[in-house]
Amino acid sequence: MFLVHLWNYIRGYVILLVTGNSVERFINICSKRQILLWDIVRVTDRSATMKASLRGFRLMRPAAKKSGCRVRIQKRKGLPFAFSRFKKRKGFKVGFFLFITLLTLSTSIIWDIQINGCKPEMIPQVMNVLNMEKIGRGSFKMGLNPKAIASKIRLSVDGIAWVGVEIKGVMLYVNIEDSIDAPPLIKNNQAFDIVAERDGLIVQMEVYAGKALVRKGDTVKKDQVLVTGRLESMYPEFGTRDVHAMGRIIARTWYESSLPVSMEYTQRLRTGKTHQVTYLRFLDGKIRLPGAAPAFDLYEVTTYDKTLTGPFGVSLPIGLTIEKSFEIMERQVPLTFDEALAIAEEKAREELAKRIPPDSRVVDEKVHHYTGENNQTYVQVVVECEEDIAGLRPASIQ
Amino acid sequence: MKRGIHRIKPAKKDRESLKSLGERLARIFEIPGDVIGSRPKVTAIGRGEVMIENFKGIMDFQDGMIRINTQNGVIKVMGSNLVIREITSEEIIIGGKISNIDYDA
Repeated sequence: MFLVHLWNYIRGYVILLVTGNSVERFINICSKRQILLWDIVRVTDRSATMKASLRGFRLMRPAAKKSGCRVRIQKRKGLPFAFSRFKKRKGFKVGFFLFITLLTLSTSIIWDIQINGCKPEMIPQVMNVLNMEKIGRGSFKMGLNPKAIASKIRLSVDGIAWVGVEIKGVMLYVNIEDSIDAPPLIKNNQAFDIVAERDGLIVQMEVYAGKALVRKGDTVKKDQVLVTGRLESMYPEFGTRDVHAMGRIIARTWYESSLPVSMEYTQRLRTGKTHQVTYLRFLDGKIRLPGAAPAFDLYEVTTYDKTLTGPFGVSLPIGLTIEKSFEIMERQVPLTFDEALAIAEEKAREELAKRIPPDSRVVDEKVHHYTGENNQTYVQVVVECEEDIAGLRPASIQ
Repeated sequence: MKRGIHRIKPAKKDRESLKSLGERLARIFEIPGDVIGSRPKVTAIGRGEVMIENFKGIMDFQDGMIRINTQNGVIKVMGSNLVIREITSEEIIIGGKISNIDYDA
């Protein structure tokens, strides 16, 4: 019964008020003529309401004439009538089609790309491959071939064992399985020497293979051979034997940095004047919203993103990027000697930190200042480290 | 009293002489009568719904009484708040609170 009602609603029906002396006759004629009537309710002695389909209503005229009844429509119901209301509204139609197109358009593009499973440093490389293929947020799903993308990534990026590219809805997932690098093969019959990577004083030596040419306590220069891989026999007639020298040579090394001490300090101060440029961000595109460019001579820029967050913590690819510039004023500040020294020392340390290899251990640090030419004061920072200075080099053929 | 087997012959008057050929065939082949004949089939479901198949037409339709013409005479359905739920050329479904279904009315 429900299905019948639903069908009637879809097709549309009318509620009629039939008035006349013989409503029964009208109903009989209608039923004989295969006009379906339902929900007939007596209202008064001379009238009844009933429901009929649109087709039935059209065929009803002869029946009404024969029975001498008047048929009046009380109400129109169903989808066709509900839609007919919108027929006149042009804006509604336009909006409806716009909605459909936008919906299909928005579901047929990639909204976000996720790269999973690989080392963080590999992600830019993968993104690079995707950019080369012109795949990004906003590209159409239709033209994408996940297998082709996967093989492209696999071929272009090193250190990948397996790549899977998946398009799920509007998301592009790139799943990467890292491969483990094979350890470097050491051929024991090839002559390799251990040379010093930098100047230093040897504090400890562990030689696993080869013949040590220096001893603990020796001072070595850069590129000096420390352990040779060419073993000479005691008896010259047996010739030499080649081994791959291996070992750890821990040496004390020194790093030095000297900088002139400046008695003045350029202080950068924010004047308090700011300027803001706003961009509207959609997918990978950026649209600059109207506004003047900053008119400062010297300024710092901080950029921050405001992302629209949808329901369930889903970040939407729409947002604002705000570039805020702060005007800056430079001012020379005279310093006391101690302050100037401290600042120069700090700078020298920063400079040294870049040069010292990460696996070395700082043992000692010395700071002193001296007066150089033109009466300029210099600060010198010397850092003493302990590190492995062993470097491999093929043994020279004699 | 004479003993024996007595066959009581039914009086010819009592026989339904108005049986149609179809109905007689239906009886021979044990087919339900409503399939072939045009006799009305009245189905009452609970108190709220009466379905009458093989009807000829409605004679009277009021709030408390509906009279339906059939091959076998007029069937009168009485009750309160009667409505015709559906009507086609084959069947009529009456709804409402039904109190009586009368034949020969």
